[in-house]
Amino acid sequence: MSLVSGPGRGGTHNQDALPDQLKLAVDQHVRYIRNLDTRKDELQYWLTEHLRLNGVYWGLTALHLLGHPEGLPRDATIKFVLDCHNIDGGFGAAPGHDSHMLYTVSAVQILATVDALPELESSKYGGKAKVADFIANLQDRESGTFAGDEWGEQDTRFLYCAFNALSILNMMDRIDVDKAVAYVKACENFDGSYGRIPGAESHSGQVFTCVGALAIARRLDLVSQDRLAAWLSERQLPNGGLNGRPEKLEDVCYSWWVLTGLSIIGKLHWIDKSKLSNFILRCQDTEHGGMSDRPGNMVDVFHTCFGVAGLSLLGYPGLRKVNPMYCMPDDVVQKLPYWHK
Amino acid sequence: MASHGVPRSATREQRSVEARQKELREIEQYQSLVTEIRQGVEKKDLSPELLDKTSALLKKNPEYYTIWNVRRLIFANEFDNLVNQVQNQHLEEDKKQSQVLDIINHDLYFLFPLLLEYPKCYWIWNHRLWLLNQGSFYLTPGGARALWDDELTLVSKMLTRDSRNFHGWGYRRTVIEKLESDELNGQSLSRAEYNYTTKMIGQNLSNFSAWHTRSRLILKILNEENADAVERKQMLDEELKLIHKALFDPYDQSLWFYHQNLMSNFDPDTCQKAMAPGLSQAEKVAYVQEEREFVEDLIEDAADSKWVYQALMDCVLIEGKLTGGLSAEMNKNVQTWLEKLKELDPLRSGRWADVQHTILRRTV
Repeated sequence: MSLVSGPGRGGTHNQDALPDQLKLAVDQHVRYIRNLDTRKDELQYWLTEHLRLNGVYWGLTALHLLGHPEGLPRDATIKFVLDCHNIDGGFGAAPGHDSHMLYTVSAVQILATVDALPELESSKYGGKAKVADFIANLQDRESGTFAGDEWGEQDTRFLYCAFNALSILNMMDRIDVDKAVAYVKACENFDGSYGRIPGAESHSGQVFTCVGALAIARRLDLVSQDRLAAWLSERQLPNGGLNGRPEKLEDVCYSWWVLTGLSIIGKLHWIDKSKLSNFILRCQDTEHGGMSDRPGNMVDVFHTCFGVAGLSLLGYPGLRKVNPMYCMPDDVVQKLPYWHK
Repeated sequence: MASHGVPRSATREQRSVEARQKELREIEQYQSLVTEIRQGVEKKDLSPELLDKTSALLKKNPEYYTIWNVRRLIFANEFDNLVNQVQNQHLEEDKKQSQVLDIINHDLYFLFPLLLEYPKCYWIWNHRLWLLNQGSFYLTPGGARALWDDELTLVSKMLTRDSRNFHGWGYRRTVIEKLESDELNGQSLSRAEYNYTTKMIGQNLSNFSAWHTRSRLILKILNEENADAVERKQMLDEELKLIHKALFDPYDQSLWFYHQNLMSNFDPDTCQKAMAPGLSQAEKVAYVQEEREFVEDLIEDAADSKWVYQALMDCVLIEGKLTGGLSAEMNKNVQTWLEKLKELDPLRSGRWADVQHTILRRTV
C-alpha cells in the first residue's frame, strides 16, 4: 500500500459542474487503491514506509465503504499486519519498524474489519492479551492519559487509539477508564471543543478523538453539546468544505474529523450537508481515482479514505454505512462484543 | 501526514528514462542506509558512525520515527557511559556535565534546519523535547534552564514566521511549564505570557491561537494571585474593553468566540468556571445589557454580519435566564434576529431552526 500522492489530482470534475452532475467515481477509486502497492519504483513509496500500516487501514476502509471488500487480498493483508507485530506486543508501521500506538490501533482495526481478530493468537509475539498489555502500559496512571510509545509523547490522539483498540478487543478493563475520561474533560475549552492536552487550543481532529473516546466510554453526558456543535458548524466555509480551526483553509479530511463530532451528538443537520457532499466530490480525480485535500491538489489514500467515509456519514447513496466512533464499517462495529454489554 | 496542499507535478508516466533510472538509484541508496542502520542496532553498535547514518537518513525523511528512536538509544547509551565513568572515578562530574551539554547542543543544532523545513513534523518537536528533558535530568538546574530559555527564544521565532502554528503554540506552553517548574527553580511566567498574547493579538487580531491562550492564562493568573472579587471584575472589565476595541472588525469569528467566552461570566450555567464567578445577579444583568447595547451599535455598520445577530441573541437569552424569562418585546426581537440569521447564514440554517424551536417550546 503506497502512501505516495498522485498520480492524479482532485478536481478533474469540471469545477462549474452542477451539483447533480457530480458523481462518486467508485470504480476509479477502487482501481486507484488496488494499484497503490505496485508503485515500489517511486522513491516516495519508500519515504512513506513509516505510515504503511495506517495506509493499509485507510485503503481497506475506503474499499469496504465503497462496497469492494475483496479489493485487497485478505490473506496477504492479514500476513502483512502480523509481520508488523513486535516482541513488545505493539505494532510498527511496517516490518522492522518500532511499535507505536498509531499503528497498533490500525492493526486491530484492519483485523476486525476483515473478521480476522482470532488470527492474532497465531502471532509469535502473543495474542490479543499481549496487544492489550502493550496499550495498557502506555497509560499514565497519574493523569489517565496515554503516551504513543515508550518515548513518552502524550496526546488525546493516543488515548482515543487506546479506547478504540481495547474496545474492539473487549479488554477495556485493562485500563483506568474513569481517569482517562476525566482527562478528556480537562482538555475541553471555553468554545466547547477539545485540545491535545489540557490548555491546548481546540482542533477538529482532537474533537474526533475526544468525543470519540467519550462515546466509546458511554460518557457523552460530559460533552457541552450545543457549544461544541456551534463551534463545529462554524468550520463550514462558503464553498461547502470544512476547516480544522477558525480562519484556516478547508480540507477533505475535516469532512471526517468535524462531521463525526456532529454526528455523535446528533447535530449533523447544523451544517449544509449537500454543499459538503459536493465539495468532497469536487476533490476527486474522476479519471485516475483518489481524492485530494482540496480541488487542484494531488490525491492520496488518506484523503480518499476520509472523503469516502464523510460521504458515507452524509448518507451518500450506495455506500456502506460507516461508524462515526471508529471510522470502520458500521456492521463490523455492531458485532463487537463490547457493544453487547 | 499524507499530502496536504501538494499541487500537481509530473506524473510517473511522464518521467524520462534517465529520471526513472535516477529515482531507482536513489531508492537503492536510501534502502541501503535503512539496512545499515537496522544492522547497527541489531549488533548493538551504538557508535558515532551509526549516529551519522541516522542524521543522513533523517535529513531525507524526518518522519521516520523508528530512526529517531535509534538516535535516542545512541545518546542514552552515551549518557550512561559518562555516568559510569564518573562512578568509576575516571571522569569528574563537571566534565560529565559539559560533555552532556555538548551532545545536547550539537543535536539541537542538527534539528534546527529540519524544523524550519518541516515545522509541522511531530517527531522533530518530540525529539527536541526529549533532548531538553535529558538536560533537566543530567545538568544542574542553572545549566538546564539556559537550554529551556534558548528554546523559548526559538519558539518565539517560529511563531513570528507562522503565528498560527498549532505545534508552535502547544510547544510554547510545554516550554513555559518547564521554565516555571521547581526542578528548574522556576516561578510563574503567566503575566509575561499574558503580555505575549497581547503583543500577538496586536499584530493580528484574527489570531485565535493567541485569544485561546489568553483565555487560559487569565484563569491561571487569577488563581495564582489569589485574586479577590474586585480584582477579578477588573480583569473582566479590561478584557471587555480590549474586545470592544478589536470588534471594529465585526466579521472576524476569532473575536466573537472570545466575546462569547467573556459572556460566559454572566450565564448562570457557565459562570462558575469563568474568570469572575462572584458577580451578583444585578451586576450580571447590568453587564449583559451593556453588551447588548454595544452590539446593537455595531449593526449600523455591519448589518450583514451574522455574528452581530448571534451575539445579540446570546445576550438576550442570557438576560432571560437571569431575569426569569423573556419579555414579549425581547421574544419578538429574537424571532427577528433568527430570521435574519437564517438569511445571512444559510449553511447553518438547521442550527437556527433548532434554536427557534427551543425558544418557542420554552415560551409556550
